[in-house]
Order: sequence, then structure tokens, then C-alpha cells
Amino acid sequence: MNLGLEALAPCFQGLIPATLYTCSADGVPNSAYLSHVEYIDPSHVALSYQFFNKSRRNVAENPAALVRVVDPDTQQGWELRLRLERSETTGPIFERMSLRIEAIASYCGMKGIFKLRAADIYEVLSVRKVPEQPGMPAPHGQRRAPDAVFTMKALHDLAVRLHTAEGLEPVLDSILAGLEKHFGFQHSMILVPGEQPQTLVAIASHGYPSRGAGAEARYGEGITGMVAEARQPIRIAGLMRGILYAYAARSRAEAHGLLTDELTIPLPGLASPASQLGVPLLARGELVGVLVLESETPYRFHEDDRATVELLGSYLALAIQNAMLREAELDDAPAAEAAPAVVPAPDGSPANGRSRREVAFYQADDCVLVDGEYLIRGLPARILWKLLSARQAEGRAEFTNRELRLDKSLQLPEYKDNLETRLLLLRRRLDEKCPDIRLVPRARGRFALELSADLSLVSRA
Amino acid sequence: MLDDSLKAFLEQGVAINVGTRNARLEPNASFVGAAVVDADRRHLTIYVPAVGAEAVLADLDVNGQAAVVFARPEDDRACQVKGTFVSARPANDDEEAEVRRQADGFLHQLSLIGMPGESSRTWVVWPAVAVRLRVNGVFEQTPGPKAGTVLA
Repeated sequence: MNLGLEALAPCFQGLIPATLYTCSADGVPNSAYLSHVEYIDPSHVALSYQFFNKSRRNVAENPAALVRVVDPDTQQGWELRLRLERSETTGPIFERMSLRIEAIASYCGMKGIFKLRAADIYEVLSVRKVPEQPGMPAPHGQRRAPDAVFTMKALHDLAVRLHTAEGLEPVLDSILAGLEKHFGFQHSMILVPGEQPQTLVAIASHGYPSRGAGAEARYGEGITGMVAEARQPIRIAGLMRGILYAYAARSRAEAHGLLTDELTIPLPGLASPASQLGVPLLARGELVGVLVLESETPYRFHEDDRATVELLGSYLALAIQNAMLREAELDDAPAAEAAPAVVPAPDGSPANGRSRREVAFYQADDCVLVDGEYLIRGLPARILWKLLSARQAEGRAEFTNRELRLDKSLQLPEYKDNLETRLLLLRRRLDEKCPDIRLVPRARGRFALELSADLSLVSRA
Repeated sequence: MLDDSLKAFLEQGVAINVGTRNARLEPNASFVGAAVVDADRRHLTIYVPAVGAEAVLADLDVNGQAAVVFARPEDDRACQVKGTFVSARPANDDEEAEVRRQADGFLHQLSLIGMPGESSRTWVVWPAVAVRLRVNGVFEQTPGPKAGTVLA
């Protein structure tokens, strides 16, 4: 019997909470709200079991249950008559549901409290429309006209952008600009693997007041870290909204308080995202990065879009990986070995009207502060320090990627040094925090260091 | 039993749904337009849209067991009232305004969480059946480890 369950996928997002009705063996009914109902196959759904509550006790005694869901597109209410079939504590269904719950819990600092104990699999015996909750007809007979964003044309347009982008930076910017132009996603960011294991670092963002280049995220934390850890897309639409908003606000406030002490850069992000979609960028089995889309519109990303989003993720991953490989190859070509340009020695006099800034390299923390404010740490910090020192000592104004790659003092990893991403990150961080120091690309694998302030360089232990 | 704070929450205009069960212990349910606490604070009248009331009323008539869940979408505060069926009658015209006020309040709640409340105006709340229940217990249902604890 075809129940038509597939067509109800939009109901299973948790945007409008579902209600679950059960009955104990001695005949006492129970009504409860439910965070979400997961579609499994044409005749099964799964309900999350997070707390040992009355509903759970009841279905253990009496497997008959009723769940009511609402289609957020049409507002039509649906009633599913269910029978508990089994509980799963491992396997793909459990993992998928657990991931989504943990992603939200990690936002709230409640990881481990909001934890999936089991995925309860129910057979769906019947489906009917709820008569007192009739819906609106979808416009022009389409299910969801307003959000049908993943069209072949949009994918094609984005592909053209990627093909015509030369180099890593244009690829990243093209992706994010294209996601807004072709898909309408106004807020997005890309993070790439950080220097430390199990970390990600923001390299490009779009649509936020602050670019956040250099902001770090740890595996397992927030949607970004969960996507990296699980290597699976995560979509959050209205799930546990109240908790999410309250704790998101708290964690952001705390993040602000920690900035100066912990030398961190806040991740860009909406204060109250109503929907989020995180996509792992996987190329040839390697996690190249994570793409995060945010929206203030609830239910912006649909279940139907999952396959397209995964495809998009793998395509973007290949584009990024290819851009990085190509740049690294070209850096090694002889053409990139140009005679370093030399600038006149700085006159050292503040009388030229330029401002003076102190750039301090803290060796123990491996970080650079400008006028006492945190700029960046790790490899980008060491690169900046090398460039500024060379300019001061030798009067050099131009540098090549190749010489950086060969410089042992920078401690680049032997394999996959990701120099291009670190240089891009440094350039963007300087643009945002210290525009008096600029890295300006000159030719393939070559860039200039431009200064519009007099710098005093200080190295501290 | 139902103090001022609980009465204010139940009558505020939140999401209300009632669950019952039949002789085979299978659940039935209906959306509820509004709820009004009796002056004695021990009884509650819920207004079940007539169009969806058939199964619920049949169950109540036979075994009298009801479980009414209230939830405020804005902050997910929720509680469940367990009750026993007392009586059912067609709601009077002078009760319509209160039913519509609470239903509108619920739609406003939906708009606070970003749902287009206007679109849910297709939901039917009138005519309604006024179902009077004796309250046996009130239980916390706000998501979290305290869900299930007794409120009244």
C-alpha cells in the first residue's frame, strides 16, 4: 500500500513541532510535543528518544501511537497512525538523528545532555489529512515555489563561475558570491582545515559585517565542527528553536568576553540564524573545508535539497583543491623566480606625516599583535614577521611564494603545506584589522608588501 | 489546583492539542482552539473544533480519559493536563470571541518564531464542541530533563 509518506518530507523538519499521542497499558492517554520526526522509508518513520519519559514508557507497554505533523509549506495537518517496531542505538539512522541533535546541543553548551539515546523506528499504518487543519493549495500546483533554489540552471551558472575563476581567492569569492546570486543565500562562509589537528579556520565569508578571516572552530563544536567531524551535511531548520536562540545568544556574549584573553577571532555568523546548512567539502576522500550557509528565514533549506547540496559540496571541494594544487605548481615554475624588488630605505622619520604602529611578534604564543591588539597566530603570523623583518633589514618590497616555501624557519609542513590558504588568510586579516600593511598580488606566485605607516618591529619571548 | 500562573498560561493563546484513546488502546487526537479554566480551578473546558471532534468525543464518551498538551512556540514552554471527561456540548455563540482570541494568540506566537501566522488562518476553530474535564494532574513538558515532573 502506498501511504504517500515521501510527499510529507517537508513536515519532518521540526519547524512546527509534531505532537505524539500514546496510551499506557492501563488505558491512560498521553500527549506530548516532539522535536522531530525522521522519514526513513515509504512505510517507516523514526522518533528521537532523548529522555526517558511517559511517551517512551507507554510505547514500551503498548506499541500503538499517533503522531501529528504540519506541512510548513501549506499548513496542512497530517495524522500518522504508528506502531513501534524496534529501537536502534547504532547504524545510519541513529547516526543521522544523533548528529543533528548534537549539533544543536553543542551550540547551547549542552553537548551530552541533549543526547540521542535511541532512534525508535515505527511502522506507519495509515496517513490521513487532519480535517480541522486544512492547508492552502500550493501556488500553481507546485509544492514549494518560493524555495526551489537548486535548479539545474543555478548549478550550471555556478559551474561557469568556477571554471572561469583563476586562482584560489577568485574561486572562493566566486563560490560565495554565486551562492547569493544564483541560489539567494546571502550569508555564507568557507572554513578550511587549520594548522592544529581537528580545527578549522575561516578563510572566506560573504554577507556578514565582519569577514572573520582567521576565526577558528574546533571539530565537534557548532554546526561547522559537527560537519567536519561527521563529514556529512547537517541542516537545522527551527529545531529546538527556543533552546538554540537562548544559548546561542549566551555563547556569543561569552565569546566576546574571551576575545582579548584567548587571542581568538570570532566566527562570522548571524545572531539568530533561523536555518543553517553545513556541507562538508570532500575531494578524493579528503576534507578540503566546510561550507556553512545561514538564513534568517526558517525552513530555508529543504530535505529535498540534500542530494543537490552534497553534489554541490563535492564540486566546490574539487574546485578548491584544484585551485590550491595549481597555485602550488605554478609557484615552483621558474617564472615565479623574479628578482625581488627593493624599496628605498625607509627614512625612519615620523615627520613624513605617516602614522606609526608597533608590530610585536610573541614567540612563545606564535602570534602577532599590532598596537597591542591581536592580529593573527601560527604560520600566517610567522610569515608576516619574516616579511616585515626582511623589509626592514634588506629594504625588500616583493616576495615569492617559492622562497616562503623553501624557508625552513617558517616551519611549513613537508606535505600539503597549504601556503596559499595561509597567505590568503593573512592578507584578508590585514585588510580587516590593519590596512596599513597590505599584501598585494603582483604576478603568479609573487606579491608585494606595501606599507602606509611607519612600523616599529618588536620581538618578544 | 490550577493557580493564577498556570491559568494565565493555559488561557494565553498557545498551541493546544487533546489526546484520547479507544477501546483497543489506540490513541486519537484533535487540535483545540481554546481552553478556559473553571472558577473552581479544578475543571477545564476545551473547545474542540466540531469538524475534527468525532473520534475524540467517541473515546471520551466510552472511557473518559483525556490528555491535553499546551505549548508556547515562542519559548517552547509546555505542560500537559490529564483529565477525566465530565460533559460535552456545542459551544455557545457568546464563547466564540474568547475562542477566536486565543486562536489568534496562537497564530501570533507562530509569527514570533518566523512562521507566517496568517497562513494558518485556514485552520478551523469554530463551530466548536465545549468539552469539560475534571483536572487530575498537570505535568511539566518543557523540553529537558525536568519534563514529566508534576506541576499541580
